Amino acid sequence: MSQARRINAPKETRVEVGPEGTPLGLGGTAIESIREEWVIEDRWWTEGPLHRHYYELALADGRNVTVFRDVRAARWYRHSA
Amino acid sequence: MGAPAPYVELHAHSAFSFLDGASTPTELAGAAAALDYPALALTDHDGIWGSMEFAHACKGLGVRPITGTELTVALKVEADRVELAHLTLLVESAAGYRNLCRLLTDAHSHTRDGAQRNAGQPWVSLEALFERADGLICLSGCAREGVLAARWERGEHALGAKLGRELRGAFGAECLRIELQRPYERHDRARNRWLSGLAERLGVPCVASGNVHFHRRSRSRLQDAFVAVRHGVGLDESEPLRRGNSSAALASPQAMAARFAEYPEAVAETARLAERLRFDLTAELGYTYPGAEDVGADRELAETCRALLAERYAGSSNRLEAERRLEEEISVIRGLGLSGFFLLHRDLLELAREVAVKVRGPSSVRALLPPGRGRGSSVSSIICYLTGLSHVDPVKANLFAGRFLNEEVAAVPDIDLDFPRDIREQLIPEVHRRYGAERSALVAAFPTYRPRGVVRDLGKALGLPPGEIERVAGMVGFHERSGEIERDVIAAIGKQRAAAPRWAALLSLCPDAMGLPRHASQHPGGMVISTKPLIDVCPVVPAAMAGRQIVQWDKDSCADAGFLKIDLLGLGMLSAVERTVVEIERARGERVDLSRIALDDRETFESIRAAETTGVFQIESRAQMQMLPRTLPQDLDDLTVQVALVRPGPIQGGAVHPYIERRKRLRENPNYEVPYEHPLLEPVLKDTLGTIVFQEQVIEVAMQFAGFSSSEAEGLRRAMSRKRSEEAIRKHREGFLAGAAGKGVPLELAERVWEQIKGFSGFGFPKAHSVAFGLLAYQSAYLREHYAPEFLCSLLNEQPMGFYPPDSLIHEAQRRGVRVAPVALSQSGVQCHIERQQGALAVRVGFAYVKGVREGEMAELVGERERGGPFESIADLASRSGVSREGLERLAWAGALDGFAQEDSEAGGGRREDYWRLVVAGSSQATGTGKQLPLPLDSPTAPALEPLGRWEKVIEDYRSTGINLGEHPMALLRGEIGDGVARSSDLSEIEDGATVEVAGMVVARQRPETAKGIVFVLLEDERGTVNLVVPPAVYERYRALVRAAPLLHAGGRLERREGTINVVVEEVGTLEWSGRPQGEVRRIEPQGGRDPDHAKGGEMSFAARRARELAVAELRAVVPAGHSFGRRGR
Repeated sequence: MSQARRINAPKETRVEVGPEGTPLGLGGTAIESIREEWVIEDRWWTEGPLHRHYYELALADGRNVTVFRDVRAARWYRHSA
Repeated sequence: MGAPAPYVELHAHSAFSFLDGASTPTELAGAAAALDYPALALTDHDGIWGSMEFAHACKGLGVRPITGTELTVALKVEADRVELAHLTLLVESAAGYRNLCRLLTDAHSHTRDGAQRNAGQPWVSLEALFERADGLICLSGCAREGVLAARWERGEHALGAKLGRELRGAFGAECLRIELQRPYERHDRARNRWLSGLAERLGVPCVASGNVHFHRRSRSRLQDAFVAVRHGVGLDESEPLRRGNSSAALASPQAMAARFAEYPEAVAETARLAERLRFDLTAELGYTYPGAEDVGADRELAETCRALLAERYAGSSNRLEAERRLEEEISVIRGLGLSGFFLLHRDLLELAREVAVKVRGPSSVRALLPPGRGRGSSVSSIICYLTGLSHVDPVKANLFAGRFLNEEVAAVPDIDLDFPRDIREQLIPEVHRRYGAERSALVAAFPTYRPRGVVRDLGKALGLPPGEIERVAGMVGFHERSGEIERDVIAAIGKQRAAAPRWAALLSLCPDAMGLPRHASQHPGGMVISTKPLIDVCPVVPAAMAGRQIVQWDKDSCADAGFLKIDLLGLGMLSAVERTVVEIERARGERVDLSRIALDDRETFESIRAAETTGVFQIESRAQMQMLPRTLPQDLDDLTVQVALVRPGPIQGGAVHPYIERRKRLRENPNYEVPYEHPLLEPVLKDTLGTIVFQEQVIEVAMQFAGFSSSEAEGLRRAMSRKRSEEAIRKHREGFLAGAAGKGVPLELAERVWEQIKGFSGFGFPKAHSVAFGLLAYQSAYLREHYAPEFLCSLLNEQPMGFYPPDSLIHEAQRRGVRVAPVALSQSGVQCHIERQQGALAVRVGFAYVKGVREGEMAELVGERERGGPFESIADLASRSGVSREGLERLAWAGALDGFAQEDSEAGGGRREDYWRLVVAGSSQATGTGKQLPLPLDSPTAPALEPLGRWEKVIEDYRSTGINLGEHPMALLRGEIGDGVARSSDLSEIEDGATVEVAGMVVARQRPETAKGIVFVLLEDERGTVNLVVPPAVYERYRALVRAAPLLHAGGRLERREGTINVVVEEVGTLEWSGRPQGEVRRIEPQGGRDPDHAKGGEMSFAARRARELAVAELRAVVPAGHSFGRRGR
């Protein structure tokens, strides 16, 4: 039996970064440009505080992808939408 | 410092954006200095409330302050909707500053238009802005709500471009900049691309800005919480409103340059603009003293005063001295260009006289009294005496005007005037009318976050349960430090809950939030009056009270700005004294002229020496009462010292104990030689036996002992009276020690005297002020002694005032034999009044004391009773009085309708019956509104209802009126608390050092900041009061009880010192009783037919026990809470 899953839940992903932490590639695909970059620090008053650094990327293969780095967990995730 | 900073911050908010900024201006200035910013702009929303503080803080730290605001403008005004957006204005020139002030005044002018005068959103129209563009630099505003960015956000690109052209038309390419921000929000890049493209098309440079909201990152959480508070929602629901991340902290110039790496020109433009923005708020205000331009003022003032002097001192032996002083003052005032100002004061006082006649009525005995009295240092000036500003003859009182007026004064003197409250209420709007709305305004005050507000506001924002918030809020103290709040939280809701993430978050926010301004309010009475438009030097905005307006600066900022300030203060005791005089005339036909009463009345001084001073001005506090039997004041001079002695200044300066000790020695031995620290100090400290009690003694010591000039000494005094002055005081210390050394004073001694001065810095009265207050203390003591019922009556009508709740005032008066009669339908007026009962005078409590009734209704009721005669039945009352049903029910429960009850009247038991009748009348005669009981009817006979029990009656009296005239709760509990518990009246028979137990109702709790954690509690029982001294360790153990319990049982050691008795507490408990209280404890519930206390047998039934718990809980809910002395009175 599989449990109900959240739709569009972020999936952990692999991001290659440069020396200053800026993404250079996503799962082996080069990044052509960073279209937007934003930060969310939220829910600090709860048991599940958020600190995410988002990037909207234009990949070399033409796709647009949004990824974020969970700053607390030091992991990258990708938004499937 | 290396290369010039690559970036200057031109857009920063402080906490004076009110709940949209989480640092003080001083904190921002400090962070800017630490980050090597050469300059920093403060741009709070629609105001410059914090700009003066900011400018001074910056200058002290070598940062150049730039004055500005983020102004709200209306992009579109439609009938029911205004579309608002922001832009940033920075002041380039004095003309620009004037325009800014007028724009801000305009922006606020409509903010209190509603019937409730609730603060609305300030805004100006674009047209108004464009008319006042001169001298201002306009940045296009923030990323979310900037005038252009908001257009872009809504996809209204063409409209945005059009607005850009309009702005460019108004400000020109020289003074318009397109503002780029990088708040790390999703569309930053796209927005900035559009804005920079627009800038290019307009031919206007871009400028980068940080939209700073706090001086360091860690404050971002507080900012989040403030946003939620401001919008009245929880953090959980406010995500779209918040900043989203901590990037609104003041970052280093280098970090900001990196943040805008794509726009190097916009970064460079910040520094170029900052170079241009050289307006200095601390030097270029352009304010002149009112009347300064009047060339005839010098002569007019001199002539007026000489004529008045000839009249006032005719035949007086002091005339020569008075003339000498007058000429001296006139010449100083002339030199300072202040003649016009003093004439203005005289006009103001004339105005006050006119208002007083209107308020008091021409024939009232109150007309004998001056309309107001001077306080503060102005009392020492003979000109103030002659023009009627002060009622104290400075020659006779031996006061010197040096502190008030001297040739070197760097800052203009304040004049403080006390008025009875009713006169002051009328005078302030009258002043606005006389001098014009553009030329007079009240000084602002900024209520800051205190522990209770932090817990309530932030607790709600954090989504904590309201019940928990209230429990904690009830526990925290007013002066509490943030570190102590955690213990209160644990005490109130337990360790486990306190550790929950949301409570932990609240605790982490507390230290940052405390002391930040929450909103703008008005100073109690400080007024700025100007003969030139005030709105050219500071924005003027409407206050919450109708007919009043405030400048955007508080008293410190106004003083920094050099504004002449007049304090029109409402003083409750002046009102009470006037009411007493009127009441005496009404009750006895006797006209008492307070200016002619004997000032050495033996009985009055005897009562003062015995600390029989409850209700007396200034010397009624617990600390004063402890002092009076030891200082034993003999005359008005002693009272002058007395009122000044129990202040933080003399207490911390170590003056109190030496003064008491030396007075005692002098009493015992008239040849006793007062020891002075140094012979230089003798002339200035003679009156106070070598101790520093008065504020001007600080000045005099600094001058005599350390060779300060009078302006240096005044500078020292000013530095001490302010919050933000540690640094300045340190500098004065060096000067003081050096100066004393120059006079041959050994260093160690000089340091000791300095410590006394520094200790004083807390707060002290000027002598002149103490003379005025001492006199009022005497007058009130005199009235209390000789006209006790009238005095009590006036105190009751003038509440809130003083240290004691009405209930305690009444009990104390009753113990002295003053009769107090309960609120009663056929006798009470709206206010309390004096009536004759079998020849004796009694205070009749007024309807205003019944909680929840409307004053207008009660006035109608009294009017109807006077027109149509007494009410004959409840039905008659219901139909004629016009009082709503709720109002009548409240009267019934308060016992006001007891006269109608046919039985049980002696126990107050008729109340149930009254209530029953009301209900019957109401249900059978319900009208359309359901509120009125319009028709007379004969109500059926009431069924046999239980009268109220004795305990119930106490509860009901407290619940419905807040006062209890009948049996004291302790009298009811006495038989049940064990024989070991002493009555207050027993304590005088118990030896010093003995162990005692006492119990009573808490009247007052006090934890003075000067007392090192000791808590003072005043208990009241059926015979009198008991002073408890709770040492810190005991307090820690019984914190919750000491803080909140309405009835306390305490054990400790009796301590007797020169006429005072204290119990130094070792243990505290709530009241427990071994059996049934004498008072029958019952619930007032219709179904509660069975009296639980009639349970037979030795064991109390569960129901009986439960009923008692409920009764105590009820008492807790209704008795007047004992309050902190520190919060009330002056």
